[in-house]
Amino acid sequence: MQHTLPSKTLLKSTIIAIVLAGIVLVSFILPAEYNIDPTGVGAKLGLTALATATPAVSIDTVTKQEQSTDIIEVIVPAGRGVEYKFAIAKFKKMTYSWKTNGESLFFDLHGEPEGDTTGYYESYAIATLAKMEGSYTTPFAGVHGWYWKNTSNNPVVVQLTVSGEYQVMGLKQ
Amino acid sequence: MLSSSHRAIILLFTVVISCLFSFEVLAHGVDEKTRYFLQNNTGVQFFPFIYIGAKHMVTGYDHLLFLAGVIFFLYKSRDILLYVSMFTLGHSVTLLLGVWQDIQVNAYLIDAIIGLSVVYKGFDNLGGFQRTLGFSPNPKAAVLIFGLFHGFGLATKLQEFQLPQEGIVANLIAFNLGVELGQFAALTVIVLAISFWRKHHTFTLFSTTSNTLLMSAGFMLIGFQLTGYFTN
Repeated sequence: MQHTLPSKTLLKSTIIAIVLAGIVLVSFILPAEYNIDPTGVGAKLGLTALATATPAVSIDTVTKQEQSTDIIEVIVPAGRGVEYKFAIAKFKKMTYSWKTNGESLFFDLHGEPEGDTTGYYESYAIATLAKMEGSYTTPFAGVHGWYWKNTSNNPVVVQLTVSGEYQVMGLKQ
Repeated sequence: MLSSSHRAIILLFTVVISCLFSFEVLAHGVDEKTRYFLQNNTGVQFFPFIYIGAKHMVTGYDHLLFLAGVIFFLYKSRDILLYVSMFTLGHSVTLLLGVWQDIQVNAYLIDAIIGLSVVYKGFDNLGGFQRTLGFSPNPKAAVLIFGLFHGFGLATKLQEFQLPQEGIVANLIAFNLGVELGQFAALTVIVLAISFWRKHHTFTLFSTTSNTLLMSAGFMLIGFQLTGYFTN
């Protein structure tokens, strides 16, 4: 049955409750919910990513993007193909250049319209080369980028420089 | 055989982990699909609203923590029924009134008060008021008053959807009915678990630990909600 704790135990219980709540709040809850992370524990555990997570890229927000340039290194593992993509609005120009360390790669530079579920895509360039420079203007809003295939036995590093109005979506394996 | 201190640590760990889990999974209250449903369907939607109400209660850890605290030391069915009725009366009044009259209360502040209710009950269960004030405030009145705040909490969740006025009274009653059904389902599990546990000698051993953890969970809720209030 319910009993009354001695003052000392009561004080101890209350202090433990507050301290425990404080630790859990500061280390886990606040980082995960609000990206407030005074101890850095939240970032270490990857909890702050929960608070900063944004919905999948919307092309509408991309139209407000400013002109930018990125230098990206994409590693294509041996015997594998990878995709590197950007979200770009309609009628935007992307200027690019990429090169490997000499190894030729099969590639397909293409775009997929936003919201398309049929799997349709339009290719802007298909070849097997060790480097390429050029530009393209998107015919529709959507996800645009490269597919590289490495048929050699060693990983190949692609150095890619892009500039234009885009949002990096990154690697798709 | 584990020593009691070891078992206490394991128990504490389990409770903290499960708290964290529920924070992440259920922090947003009503999910996206429910939101779309509520915004796209007009008129009386009796059974969907019952379901939403029940789901909200079953997954609403703040309400459940408070109820667990309330019935922790109640073992007579009559007492349990009485206290739960007080809580139901309290939250039904403010839920119906809040949505129907469109009373705007800040959700963060209300949820912080709900956190406070959990701390209050944990402290009360430890005999804290008896010790500090020399008396324990009428527990039935406390449950009723905190029930009013819990009802406002439920109301703010529904108000976020800006429900169409058409059929609102029937929908509200259905939602409230669902809340009671959900509460009944959750309580059945809690009462059963506590009743079994009470027969075991670890109940007395851990009743202090449990209520300390209950208080701590309440403090977490307060901190969580107040931070939300000040940052938004």
